[in-house]
Order: sequence, then structure tokens, then C-alpha cells
Amino acid sequence: MTITDNFSRRGLLATAAAVTGALVIGFWLPRRTEAQSFNPEGAAWSNETGDDEVNAWVVVAPDDTVTVRIAQTELGQGVWTSNAMMVAEELQCDWSKVRPQYASANRDAKEMAPAWTLNVMGNGATDPNGGGEPQFGTRDRTGLAGIPDSLYRRMRTNAAASVKDGRYYLQLAGAEARDRLLLAAAKLWAVPVEEVSSVNSVITHRGSGRTTTYGKVASLAAETPHPNPQRIRIKPPSEWTLMGTEQKNLDVPSKVTGTAVYGIDVHLPGMKWAAVKSCPVYGGKVKSYDFERIRNEPGVISAIQFPIPDPVLIRGRIFGGGVAVIADSWYQAKTAIDKMPIEWDVPAANATRNTANIRAALIASLDEPGTVRVNVGDCDSVFRSAARIVEATYSVPYLPRARMEPGNATVLVADNRVDIWIGDQSPQETRRSAAQITGIPEENVYLHMCHLGGGYGRNGNGPQAEQAIYVANQNRGTPIHLLWTREEDFINTTFRSIGVAKLRAALDKDGWPIAMDVRTATDAEAPGATAGFDIAARYFAPNYRFSTHSGRFHIPVGTRRGVGAPAQHFYRESFMDELARAAGKDPYLYRRELIARTNLPYRADMIKALDIAAEMSGWGTKLPEGTARAIALEERGAEAGGHATISAQVHTVSISRDGKVRLERVDVAHDEGFGLVNPLSVRKQIEGQVTWFYNDAMYQECNVTEGRIAENNFDTFLLSRINEDPPQINVTFFKTGHWLDGMGHDRGLSIQSNIADAIFQITGKRYRDLPFRNHDLTWT
Amino acid sequence: MAMDLTVNGVRHSVDVAPETPLLWVIRDQLRLTGTKFTCGIAQCGACTLHIDDRPVRSCSVPVSAAVGKAVTTIEGLSPDGTHPVQLAWMELDVPQCGYCQSGMIMSVVGLLKRRPNPTDAEIDAEITNACRCSTYHRIRKAIRVAAASISARGGAL
Repeated sequence: MTITDNFSRRGLLATAAAVTGALVIGFWLPRRTEAQSFNPEGAAWSNETGDDEVNAWVVVAPDDTVTVRIAQTELGQGVWTSNAMMVAEELQCDWSKVRPQYASANRDAKEMAPAWTLNVMGNGATDPNGGGEPQFGTRDRTGLAGIPDSLYRRMRTNAAASVKDGRYYLQLAGAEARDRLLLAAAKLWAVPVEEVSSVNSVITHRGSGRTTTYGKVASLAAETPHPNPQRIRIKPPSEWTLMGTEQKNLDVPSKVTGTAVYGIDVHLPGMKWAAVKSCPVYGGKVKSYDFERIRNEPGVISAIQFPIPDPVLIRGRIFGGGVAVIADSWYQAKTAIDKMPIEWDVPAANATRNTANIRAALIASLDEPGTVRVNVGDCDSVFRSAARIVEATYSVPYLPRARMEPGNATVLVADNRVDIWIGDQSPQETRRSAAQITGIPEENVYLHMCHLGGGYGRNGNGPQAEQAIYVANQNRGTPIHLLWTREEDFINTTFRSIGVAKLRAALDKDGWPIAMDVRTATDAEAPGATAGFDIAARYFAPNYRFSTHSGRFHIPVGTRRGVGAPAQHFYRESFMDELARAAGKDPYLYRRELIARTNLPYRADMIKALDIAAEMSGWGTKLPEGTARAIALEERGAEAGGHATISAQVHTVSISRDGKVRLERVDVAHDEGFGLVNPLSVRKQIEGQVTWFYNDAMYQECNVTEGRIAENNFDTFLLSRINEDPPQINVTFFKTGHWLDGMGHDRGLSIQSNIADAIFQITGKRYRDLPFRNHDLTWT
Repeated sequence: MAMDLTVNGVRHSVDVAPETPLLWVIRDQLRLTGTKFTCGIAQCGACTLHIDDRPVRSCSVPVSAAVGKAVTTIEGLSPDGTHPVQLAWMELDVPQCGYCQSGMIMSVVGLLKRRPNPTDAEIDAEITNACRCSTYHRIRKAIRVAAASISARGGAL
């Protein structure tokens, strides 16, 4: 392939040179090659310049443009904007001149966090004036699972925790910078700092009326240390002026013009492309491959076998080994690897696994002792003598995140430096992977962070970086862009575990539970197995037992949007509907009464959520034939009394006689805690998750056949389109007395049980195995 | 083999195998990376661009099919991001991860060229692109805003 058009390589070099020119002053930068300095328009990675950096989060340019360093990855959740809002709130700068930029993971390897970021002020999650989580300060500061005390602390983007974990130190960073800008102005004017104040980047001296701007004093501020950083306080919600307002997302303009740079868009001078085939049976590896058969295909350069990625680098998950073909273009590499004979060495036991035998093993595990998590009262004796027992067994399938951007990474390994261009949800972990694989120290690993084409539970992690680093390390000096096909993306992902549950309740003569026994089972490695049932029953039963059970299978399991909560909510809320119907009671009022009987710390908030959602939906009013309403509670942290997010949703669902489901309307009552940083982003997260979990309920599953994942593209793994989006999504926020636990997941998962109950109301059939498209939904 | 392509009004000569999908010529040869690769089998629509004003899924169209025709990508929709559909997308703050939005916008522009004020049923039938973040709710509202703005300036794109 050659290129003879007017797209100019010179243009690229000019851009690179312009950037390099600005960079050579950096004292800690080694001389960079052309590719290492590459910085196209639209790229959002750290440029590692230090012009008038006030602190590691805030850079003020002479024209008052404020660059805010963002240590989390923008993957659609709005962190690019909300993190910047938290800094700008305290900085009191002109929001229209704020420009986010990814924080440098390389710098994070070399510098420690300022001491003032290390301790959370205030009295925990129920103190509106504080920083939130009281245990935050004791979380592990060295391990990658905790909150490191390196410069940017937590660079992971996970658990919908960017605001929860980052708010106090991002507010502090804005406040620290503001104080120093004011000090600089006071110094310049030789007046007491108490007499100067700032709004919208303009500093005013009260006595004289003199003004200046942040941009004019930034250099001086950069040299002015904070005299007492431990005394900086952050604004409580009552003083917010920017936080709490609906702000359009700062990345949106670049995403409607095609200029936003995702990992897949990175083109470097001299770059080659790699296409990959990994063993489709996890734990398998390459036995042999025949490169000679494709050696003369157009553009083909070489092939490299890679081992099973080191599980230590990817949270213990075992994927497959594979082979990469390197070519001038990705399409050439992909076309060639499709033609290359590959024989796999597959562990025999793994190849015998299929959905049926995995599910059977999990169901069998429910009758084993398991791990008892909660045991209140004496369930066994109540069940022995109970007049009325309701029992139900539910199941959910393996589910991948199936982001739109296939996994990819571009890596250049030089003699003593690694550069990685990637959309990644854990740059600190990827930095460590690069060091481990290449033997080059972490201080010499540079990550150029790109936006991520969907995350949904750490899709930005996984072996794409490790595969690419391995391949590039074998091709030192050449930038290698490794890109998966859609099918490879399904193979190289972790899955939400398949799950089953058996719930039993003994009811008294009025239909109220007197004992409840909950048994759930997943893969033993699955995270979040206790969600929704642990510590205490959300719906009261005087005798309550909850145990978790498991099997161990070879499908790599991990965090997918909501982690354990979506499956467990499906079980719990479906069962509440079944109990209410067995008792002949209204499912809304039945839930309400059983929550009221608990002593959970946030029971009033849960009741409020149900009341508001029911009221919004017109609960109890007549609906046309073939249409039904159902209600469910959604909560994270309701049992604990710390950070929590509580909501309730009513779904109005119609089903045609030939079995077509239509989501007509969604009414959402949603906890806003002490305040939402950007309510617009929260609305968008709620709207998106309604359809996300609608897809989980109706369509999505991955089956295992001879040890492989059967569904691996969007022809078999189905996504709904705009024609299934509900015409109405109504959202009401209500205030509660705690800080929130995140918005990027757990919202809308009630749609699973609500569609189940609507199907029951309309067709008379109760289905307990997701997805519903596998069932007969017709009625007469 | 060498072929002449006209993309966003600019003529390019590319030397590629004629069966190469148009998507990869646009992305790798012309470096217009706004058009995205996702499924490779014409399911999701992330690779949607226009050939002579008709939206096509460029992952499944050979480059040879575009010779002698006008190809338009997201980069060619407007010089400065002010196409009525782009403005409506910004007003409603539609994108989340944004990865599918270039293709989504090109599909919507294609629909509005044919039906400047589409009904819900026409939107449902014509906009078959997938968005994994499920921004559909705002997309429908943004289509309405774009249609109103097109109508205000004379009724045609």
C-alpha cells in the first residue's frame, strides 16, 4: 500500500515539532523521538508541559485558560466534566475557559501526592461539610487495589467512584490553587490576602478596587507555596455555585465532529499494525502456526506468538495465548491472519464445558452448605412448621460488556523507555504491566491516555495492553498498534458470571414473610457475590439466612456494570413480586411495609423512593389491556449507613398478543444525596442504563459451547435500537442525608424484575431465567 | 491498484486492493478517523458514511464501489461543527462514550436529507445504528431539534 494523496506527513511532523519545541524545557523529560512526541489535534493526553502549573491539577495560561488534569478516563460517564467541575468550583475560575487534559501516569510514578490530599476531613458519609468516606484515609496506599499515595492517588476508573473517591481532593486541589493565586495577587499589590477575592478568574482588591486575572499572576502563584495547606477547607453543598448545576459535557463537541481521539485512532510515524488470534478456549495456547502460508500476502511483515498473559498483571484472570500478525495496515494483518493455519493446545477439561453443565453445577451447589453470610433467627425450624412456603429458582447468563471500540493499544518500546497510547481504565496497572513485561522501570513508562469507546465495568482493562506490550517488546523501535476484531474483543474480555439463585420464604396467615432463605451461586472468582442481600435483609423477615455458593469454571469473570447487583436485584425484586402476589397484596405497598419493618439506616429514603416513583407513574390507575406496571427498589449501600445510592423505578410495559414487548414509560425516583455534581450527566446515565438493563432483560446472553463463547458479534449478541427506546423517561431527584455511591451503574436494573412481573400480569406466565427472548410471551 | 477517490470534496489517489473495505481506506490511508470500526459485519453502523448522499456501512463496502462517487465522512459534514445535526447533538448533549456518534450522525443526516421532518415510525425504521451507551432517548429529541432548525432555514438539507 502506498499513499499519494494530499494528506501530508509533513503536517504531522509540523505538529509533532511544535509540541516538541514546547517540551524540551521539561527538566525530567528525556529527548523524545518523533513518535514519542506525536500529538495530533483532538488528543487529550498530558502534554507534560509545566507552563505556570500552580499544582499538579491546575495549569493557568496567560489568557486565563485553565487546564485541569483528569486522572480518570472519560468513557461516557462524564468524568471529564465532573472532575473539572469539582476543581473549578473551588478555583472560582471562568468555566468557559476550562480545558480538561489527562493527568500523566508517568509523573504519577515519580512524584508523591501532596500531603494535604492524604486525609479526608469531616465525619464521614453523613457529614455534608466533610469529604465523605471516613475510612478513605486508611485504605491501602501502596497496593493498586487501594488508593495509592502517588501523585494522582487513584487513577483507576471503576466502581462508579470517581466523584465519591475523588471529590474531596479535587475540591482541595482547586482550593489550594485559588489560595495561592490570591496570595500572589496580594504579594504583587502588597496588601493583606484577606482583602483580595476572586470570581470567574478575576481577582479584586476590596479596598482599592484594583483587579487582575489568574492568568497574569499564575507564574507568581506557581512560585508561591501555600502557607498552611492542611487548613484548607472545601465548600459544602450549600456554597456550591458550579457543582450542582447542569453542565454540558466538555468532550461532546469533539464527539460530534469526529475529532475526539480514541485509542483506535492513534497513527504514529513508522507505526505497524497487529491483528491477533487468541485461543478461543480460555487457558489454551498456540500449538503451532504456519507463517509461511501468509508470508507473501500484501503488507505482511512478521508473526509473533504470545503466551497466556501473566494473570498477575490482570487481576488473576486467565485468557488464552495466541499469535499476532504484523503488517503495514491493520486490514492487511487481519486478512492475512484469517488465512494462517493455527493449531491450538486446549486443556481438555475446559473444552468439555458448556452452558448446561456449568449451570447444572451451580444449581447443585445451592444444596451444599456454601458460605453463610447472614443468619438471623432460626430459618430451619420455621420452614419445618410453616403452613405456606414460596420457593423460586432464578438464573442469569454470562454477559460481556461489549463496548463499541474493540480493544487496542499502541506501544513503542525503545531502549529504556516505553510509550503507550491507549484508552485504559487503570493506567497505574498498565504502567506496571509495561515494566514487568519489558524490564524497563515504571518511571520510564509513558501513557498517552485516549478516550475510551465504552467502559461499562472496566472494559478498558484486560489483556489488550499486555498483548500489545509483549508484541512491541519483540519489535523494539517500531510503534505497534494492536487491534482486536469484534470477535477477539468478545474472546479477550471478562464476563459477568453466570448465576443462579434459590429463594424460599415462609409466609404467615396474612402473607408476610416469617422466614426467608436466600442462596445465590456464581463462579467462585466472581466479584460482588454478596450484593443486595448481605448484612441485613432489605425486606424484613424475622428469620433470615443468606448464603453464597459457587463453582469454578474457566470462563474469566470480572466486573461488568453493576458487578453483582444486577443479578441479585433481579432475584430479590422478582421474588418480592412473587411473594406479594402469593399474599394477594399490592407489590408496591408490600415492599413499603416490609422495608418499614426493618431497622436499616436508610429505610426512610427507600420508602420515599418507592412513594415518589409510584406517585409519578400513576400507580393503581387503570391501564389498557395488554399493559402493566411494575415497581422495584434499587439500592447500593442501603444496609451500611455510609455512602449509598437509592432509587426506585416503575416500568410501564405492554405486550402484544404475538409476544412483542414494548417499554412504554419509565418513572424514576432518584436519591441525590447532599447534591449531584453534574445532574445532566446523572440524567444521561439513568437514561442509558434503562436501555442497558432492558437489553440484559430481553436479549443478551453468552453461551458456552465446547469451552468457547458462542456469541461473539452483534449478529448473535443483540443490542436494541432506537425503536425500542421508551417514549417517556421521567426522573425526579430527592435529597437525602448522605453522600452518594455513584451513578454509572445500578440505575435501571429494576427493569429486569419489572418486565418479568409485567409478563406475568399480562400473560399469566412467570419466567425466572434471563433473557426473556428465550420464552414464549404470547397470550390470548 | 491505484484508484481515485473523492472524499469530502478532495480528490485522493490510493493504491490498495479493490476489495479493501472503504472504511479501512478512509481510516488508514486518508487518516480520517472519525469513522469508526466496531463489528465489521454491517450490523452496528459505527462506520456509516455517505456515498452520493446515501448512508452506507463502510466496513462492508469495497473501496472500488466508491470510485467516481462523492464520499462524505463526519469530517466533511461541516467545516466547523455547525451542521444542524451537530448543533442539535450539542444542544441535547447526546454523546456519552461517543464512539458510535459519527456513524449515528451520518445516518440521521441521511434520513433528514430524504425526510426533513421524519415521523417517529420513520426514525424507528431508518435509524438502525447501535449505541451501547444507549443515548437513543436524546438522539430522538435531537433529531426533532435538527428537523425544526432545518425547517426554519427553508426545509431542506
